[in-house]
Amino acid sequence: MSQIEIIKLNKFYTVGDTIIPGVNEVSLNIEQGEFLSVVGHSGSGKTTLVSIVGGILRPTSGQVLYNGCDICELDDNGLSEYRNKKIGFMFQFASLLPILTATENVLLPALFSPDQQQAKDNAEKAQRCLELVGIGEKGLAYPSQLSGGQQRRVAIARALMNDPEIILADEPTGDLDEDTEREIMELFSRINEEQKVTIIFITHNLELARQAKKQIRMHQGIVEELAL
Amino acid sequence: MKKFTFLAVALKNLKRKPFRSGILISAIAILVSLLIFAISFSISVGSSLKKSSDRLGADLIIVPVGARGFAEEFLLESKHTAFYMPKEMIKRVAAIEGIETLTHQTYLSSISGLCCDILPTRIIAFDPENDFIIKPWLQGSLGRPLQRGEAIAGFGTNENLGLGLLAVETTIFNNKFKIVGVLEQTGTGLDNALFMTEENLAAIIESGKSPLKKGEISIIFAKVKKGADPDYVGRVVEGSIVDVDVVARSNMGEKFLNVLADINKIFLISITLSSLLTIFLVWAIFSAIANERAKEIGIMRAIGAKESHITKLFFLEVLTLGIIGSLIGVAAGTLLAFWLVHTFTLIKTISAQLNLVHQLVIAVAGLILGSGICVGGALLPINRIKKMEPLLVIKEE
Ligand SMILES: Nc1ncnc2c1ncn2[C@@H]1O[C@H](COP(=O)(O)OP(=O)(O)OP(=O)(O)O)[C@@H](O)[C@H]1O
Ligand SMILES: [Mg+2]
Repeated sequence: MSQIEIIKLNKFYTVGDTIIPGVNEVSLNIEQGEFLSVVGHSGSGKTTLVSIVGGILRPTSGQVLYNGCDICELDDNGLSEYRNKKIGFMFQFASLLPILTATENVLLPALFSPDQQQAKDNAEKAQRCLELVGIGEKGLAYPSQLSGGQQRRVAIARALMNDPEIILADEPTGDLDEDTEREIMELFSRINEEQKVTIIFITHNLELARQAKKQIRMHQGIVEELAL
Repeated sequence: MKKFTFLAVALKNLKRKPFRSGILISAIAILVSLLIFAISFSISVGSSLKKSSDRLGADLIIVPVGARGFAEEFLLESKHTAFYMPKEMIKRVAAIEGIETLTHQTYLSSISGLCCDILPTRIIAFDPENDFIIKPWLQGSLGRPLQRGEAIAGFGTNENLGLGLLAVETTIFNNKFKIVGVLEQTGTGLDNALFMTEENLAAIIESGKSPLKKGEISIIFAKVKKGADPDYVGRVVEGSIVDVDVVARSNMGEKFLNVLADINKIFLISITLSSLLTIFLVWAIFSAIANERAKEIGIMRAIGAKESHITKLFFLEVLTLGIIGSLIGVAAGTLLAFWLVHTFTLIKTISAQLNLVHQLVIAVAGLILGSGICVGGALLPINRIKKMEPLLVIKEE
């Protein structure tokens, strides 16, 4: 059984009278520990697909099975727990809460975690996550006091906080310089190899995409090409 | 590091727009203080009036025709009116079926400069032989009967007289008087009078400075026999003596109570309106906050916050505002009640009438109302945002 099985997935957006296809009859399997890149033109449905897999968007029809269980059937609480425990998100844009320090941002997923027993060690763990992404000394800094690259690292640390099984990254390095981009990609492959975390990342950079072990290309809502 | 909790996040959110938080807190505070003041006001006035009429001890007040208005407001009135009727009235009233005992008083108005050392005030002469109005009260304050040439001041009169000091000599209608003390506060019009015994009147009349003539009195207080209905006896008195007006105890302060009821209505309406306004204000501000934070809410949802978590965060924020605002409001309202007491001539004892339990109940009511309004106003906007799909919220800007 694959970790993620996407079966005949459709997502149509309705704007007024027109129906815009976001994802169109997509079927796809993703294995545990996979390192997958998603490329495609702007508007081809990458964010839509990945968001449905991550449980922050409900599809129009079709199934997303996580370890054989359809996440689209979950109620809001169930879906929230799925996001909280299994998924680590990185967004296309800066996504830290400006009022919280780096450490507090990293602690957020733990605050929403359904199991609160391990709460005591949370602060230590957040620090470890920050160290892992190379900014252990920035814990007390607010997002506005961090560079764009450092903010991305905090976001990665936050994604790692609850030991997710899948990291979903939507253009995580979109507006970063090449060196930082490379460092973050290295970080991803390290996490993928050392912690066996499944990583799915969207990029416009074909070279970066090639660094993944598996690539897919999207076109008008369809997963068009599977290139190994 | 300080523990990272929902409350910590809520507080940080409040601190990020201190001015806006300040406005919300002020709005709640104003509303709650208005509520507190209104409740204190009506409770105190009502109970103070009842206490006064109870302690008066008279079932009927009998005055010359035309002075009914004064008699009705006897407990509250502090005007220096003087009206007279012949002393024979006492006998005529006493003869009426159902009357048990009576006592009478004579009122003088002092006029500054012309007759007296003191500022204009109401002077009440009573008959120590049969008095039951002043005596119990005098007993508590002075501990002995008043002598000839002595006067005792009502609680509020002390300052009105401009004396300040006790045991001073003063001239009233060409007669020397020694002010021997100040009576306890009653919260009624009696607080603004100066009391003396009737034996002094002859000398005052002799001075020729007062309009009072020999053989005149101003007012008769009567107790009815056990089992007799004061209202009925009052009507009989009025029916058989055309020269007098009679007011029964149950009618005392009636006009005032009606006014009070109207004032309460005004308070109620303005509190309702300001509650609505406050709800709108909180709603508008929280709509703005919710929209402004839509992206953040979406992000929190994406990393696993349930709807209940978002609600909890906002409620902590709103409740903090509500509680701070209400506490300030409770304090301000209580203070206002204390302070405004001195600007109301009718109620000098407003806060003295409120015991701790009263005040506590009012404070808790204010707290609940204040926080409730905050929560109510914030409910809708929060609900809208948290129900949206996280991705769509994140993209909505
Ligand atoms: N909320 C929405 N309402 C209506 N249409 C939408 C909405 N979100 C996306 N779409 C449409 O769905 C299609 C796929 O959008 P999606 O965001 O998945 O593209 P993308 O591949 O991530 O693009 P980009 O590379 O620019 O981020 C687009 O045509 C877009 O116009
Ligand atoms: Mg996209």
